[in-house]
Amino acid sequence: MARLIIMGGGVSGHTAATFAKKWLGNDHEVVVVTPNSQWNWIPSNIWVGVGQMSKEDVVFPLAPVYGKAGIDFRQAKAVSIHPHGNTSSDKEYITIEYTDQEKAGQTDTIEYDYLINATGPKLNFDATPGLGNGKGHLGEHTVSVCTADHAVHANVELKQVFEKAKKGERQKILVGTGHGMCTCQGAAFEYIFNIEHEANKAGVRDMIDIKWISNESFMGDFGMGGLHMKVGGYVVSSKLFAESLFAERDVSWIIGAHVNKVEAGKASYELLDGTMGEEAFDFAMLIPPFAGVGLKAYDKEGSDITDTIFAPNGFMKVDAKYDAGAYENWKASDWPRTYQNPTFNNMFACGIAFAPPHLISKPASSVNGTPINPTPPRTGMPAGIIGKAVAHSVCDMIKNGAKNAHLHEASMAEMGAACVASAGKGLTTGTAAAMTVYPVVPDFEKYPGTGRDTDYTFGEIGLAGHWIKHILHHMFIYKAKLKPGWTLIPE
Amino acid sequence: MKQEEKNFEQNQFTLTMIPGGFARKMRTCVLFQAFRFLVINIKMLIVVSKSH
Repeated sequence: MARLIIMGGGVSGHTAATFAKKWLGNDHEVVVVTPNSQWNWIPSNIWVGVGQMSKEDVVFPLAPVYGKAGIDFRQAKAVSIHPHGNTSSDKEYITIEYTDQEKAGQTDTIEYDYLINATGPKLNFDATPGLGNGKGHLGEHTVSVCTADHAVHANVELKQVFEKAKKGERQKILVGTGHGMCTCQGAAFEYIFNIEHEANKAGVRDMIDIKWISNESFMGDFGMGGLHMKVGGYVVSSKLFAESLFAERDVSWIIGAHVNKVEAGKASYELLDGTMGEEAFDFAMLIPPFAGVGLKAYDKEGSDITDTIFAPNGFMKVDAKYDAGAYENWKASDWPRTYQNPTFNNMFACGIAFAPPHLISKPASSVNGTPINPTPPRTGMPAGIIGKAVAHSVCDMIKNGAKNAHLHEASMAEMGAACVASAGKGLTTGTAAAMTVYPVVPDFEKYPGTGRDTDYTFGEIGLAGHWIKHILHHMFIYKAKLKPGWTLIPE
Repeated sequence: MKQEEKNFEQNQFTLTMIPGGFARKMRTCVLFQAFRFLVINIKMLIVVSKSH
């Protein structure tokens, strides 16, 4: 009997664990180690952040689902990997620290035959002074929608702003990225338009100035170097698409910005041209930069080999081309295909936990030398597809032996992503932007010109996007709960 | 003054496009959106199938 450990129970880890258990059955063991007791459909946190959904609508407890599936669930955070074992045993193992109430703080070790790292990101709030609280968590000056609890808090703060506006106090709202190296602009993009929609509904829009601040060098970069999409019969740049949305809704923007300090009611920033600025706010939602969760790795004698397994940003090295060099040399083929660690072939990474070879957007830094560019997004659809591919590879290795196994591939340069950015939640009001991009990483050899297939890279604004977002919400929570027919729902 | 003209008054928005009344109306027209819902879903399913 082989044992597969999956570290992380988010979109990618949960997908990998559930498919691995389905394919392996009871002949082998699947263990999930995740510090969270609940699974969170993160895209709907946006609706929690504006009071259109409750926390309970977007989370569910993992223990019953894993219990039903026969998956060994450990509510704990992974601390270290020991791929050579230790001085008394050659067997690979990881160390964990429990986070559930009963065993909180207790440590344990679990041996493994195969390991999937799906730990997701560390929300690195402390990278920007004042954005964090100095202890790795969200600070007191801004809000976040990165977790369901953060989104609940954001909604409470937002409603206070609306109340002040109703009383005639002019309010300023700032939404965007809280550091020059952030990703996930899409979440902030969706949140700002939901705020704008709710302000209209509450009848306070005229009393609120809403502003976007982002590390993108141009509007609509989204960490993907922008895209060209089919809209109304034209192929247009996402710059025009995004600017149009902001102009229509009277939301002004600051781009190419590295937020370098946050204080009560004030964000300081540096722009690509080197100028410094400050923006006052009454309410701010600034996305933090992401980093690896800080896993360590040790060899048999206890020497630190973290650098062998992990990139400097804390994400796990996989089969990517990390020495591609300058932007001009970047190719779609630099991106990983199997997500297998190059040093240990029984170790994989998926979702946000793998180290990308480089940015997707063109690198940029201010005249002062400060890097200001979005890092690559790894949204739900690619994360799920990669998680499933990795699980498939591990199952084949377990069943057929590591040498004979077929490693399944899921390159982000050969897969698309669907994105629905809502503005409101109603079935007959509001207008969501529904977008697809294919492939996520542009391939200029295959698609000269735009780098993407313009038949399948499109964007559209309207109610239809809202309906799709509602369907995705219910469909993916249904799937994650492993209800009948769950395998038929694509990632 | 039309909605789009009001927004074009602001310097930052002068170089982009802003939908007029008809385009905005179609975005919330249930019949038209039901048709677009089908089209978008088919396109998304193709993208999903090409990605696996």
